[in-house]
Amino acid sequence: MTGKRTVRRTVRVAVVAVLSAAMLVPMYIMVVNAFKPQQEILLSPLSLDFATATTDHLKAAWQSTSFPVIEGYAVSLFLVLACNAVAIGTAVPAAYAIARTPKLLFRILLMFFVAGMFVPAQIILVPAIFVLKSLGLMGTLPGLVLFMSATMIPFTLFVFSAYIRMLPRSLDEAAAIDGAGRQRILWTIVFPLMRPIVATAFVLNALGAWNDFVSPQLILGPGSEFRTITTGVYAAVSTYSTNYEIVFPTLLLAVAPILLIFAVMQRHIMGGLSAGAVKG
Amino acid sequence: MTRISTSWRSRAGAFANGLLTVPALAVYAGLLVVPVGFAVYYSFTDYNGFPSQTPTWVGLDNYERIAQDPIGDLHPSIWVTVAIAIVGTLLVNAAALGLALLLRRTTPFNTVARVVMFYPHVLSALIVGFLWQAILGPQGAVNNVLEGGGQSTLPFLADPQWALATLIGVIVWAQFGVQLVLYLAGLQAVSPQLQESARIDGANGGQVFRHVTWPALAPTVTVTLVTTVLSLLKVYDVVLGLTNGGPGDATQNWAYEILAVSFANNDIGLACAQAVLLVLVAGLLSFTIIALRRRAEEGAEAIG
Repeated sequence: MTGKRTVRRTVRVAVVAVLSAAMLVPMYIMVVNAFKPQQEILLSPLSLDFATATTDHLKAAWQSTSFPVIEGYAVSLFLVLACNAVAIGTAVPAAYAIARTPKLLFRILLMFFVAGMFVPAQIILVPAIFVLKSLGLMGTLPGLVLFMSATMIPFTLFVFSAYIRMLPRSLDEAAAIDGAGRQRILWTIVFPLMRPIVATAFVLNALGAWNDFVSPQLILGPGSEFRTITTGVYAAVSTYSTNYEIVFPTLLLAVAPILLIFAVMQRHIMGGLSAGAVKG
Repeated sequence: MTRISTSWRSRAGAFANGLLTVPALAVYAGLLVVPVGFAVYYSFTDYNGFPSQTPTWVGLDNYERIAQDPIGDLHPSIWVTVAIAIVGTLLVNAAALGLALLLRRTTPFNTVARVVMFYPHVLSALIVGFLWQAILGPQGAVNNVLEGGGQSTLPFLADPQWALATLIGVIVWAQFGVQLVLYLAGLQAVSPQLQESARIDGANGGQVFRHVTWPALAPTVTVTLVTTVLSLLKVYDVVLGLTNGGPGDATQNWAYEILAVSFANNDIGLACAQAVLLVLVAGLLSFTIIALRRRAEEGAEAIG
């Protein structure tokens, strides 16, 4: 019995180890080849000869004009923060009102917001461009932030309203009797209690904003002075996709910091995701 | 008297609460709902996107064009989309559930493995596409290794059928980690006592899974199926990075057709008709899955 169990355990560990290795192979290939000239990449793509390894190509990618790495990171980070500020900042009061008003109209309103979760954002981007044009926001960062926030609001509001419903009503009623106004109750009593769900929404929205390519590419336009990580990589790599001296170092520069952040924050990121799933 | 004043007060309170929803409503309606309306309107016109040209009403022309497909480029994209959505969803969920069962106990080894399975999700789909293109392309790492070993190369991205299979494989590689996390969360909710008592009653591993674990996972399965289908119906970035729709139009899906063909050709009317259809399909499919899963979920409640 115990023998059988040990065998089973060994098989399980072996299967998981092999699969984990398979998941990491692309990263290994990317890292190794970022330090090699084209000829060597083509001849021996899987090994790294330390005698001929060079950081020249990484330096070239770092200085590439089509993908300014630091600015790309700054713009992507700005989008993460700005979109979350708009989406969370507008969803908190709306979700509070919806959760605390037992009226049919507000239930319908919630359904109206939730319906947005089923609209694929990049598909509706084409007509959204014409809305942005008529508002004079096409090609601008505010326009981009507003569109991306709009796509985040349905999910954010949905999980927020479900969470606020679980908070005891007696808290806000006590504060109201003490004479606190709606905004005050909302931001000083309810909002601090929402910390776990706000963290979840922040993480999920951040991943969405960070990885979005179509929205910045189409709203800012390919000639924009602002490049995100994704539009920068596209500009640097798409026309040279077989020039591996450019491809691998560029991709390495694009993913290294986010992988580092992920390695440090993985518990929060994956925990936030499963918390969102349980509530949603 | 008191009744009137409370009803007035509750109405005033509802109005004040209504004001709190205005900012969210303005952003959401202005940039997501109004565009859907624009899409419906443009889909009945021949609009080409130039501000100087006013859209002319052409009725159902765009939809007829999609149905008849005179150039023969729209129908293949529907099949590509369906293949990605169905095969991809099944593979993503099979891989995620299988690994969730293997990794359900929280040990240091399993925690590391979960992180490794999940990490592709923090990379953007475009970068995932470019990376695999560099690995599986005709000049890519794998084919160079094969060539170096004296073997013939494999047409991962050069042959139409291979390219579609490769695309689905890459999508599964990048996406199953997210669903794995959801399945792990779902497995936490399965009662260990129930599994233990089934085991004491003589059920083997397979039987415990079929009669206890799987029914109790029903709500999780609904969530993972809907989120996977929704995300696979609209994949675009990974297609652009990996194959750019090629070879030929072998991997052009519906989203690629909208953004890289119709929109790029200033065929806004057609692009909007295609977008409207895709939104309808996404909505209908989600609600069908939710409705079909309701019975399975009722079973979960009976067990839980």
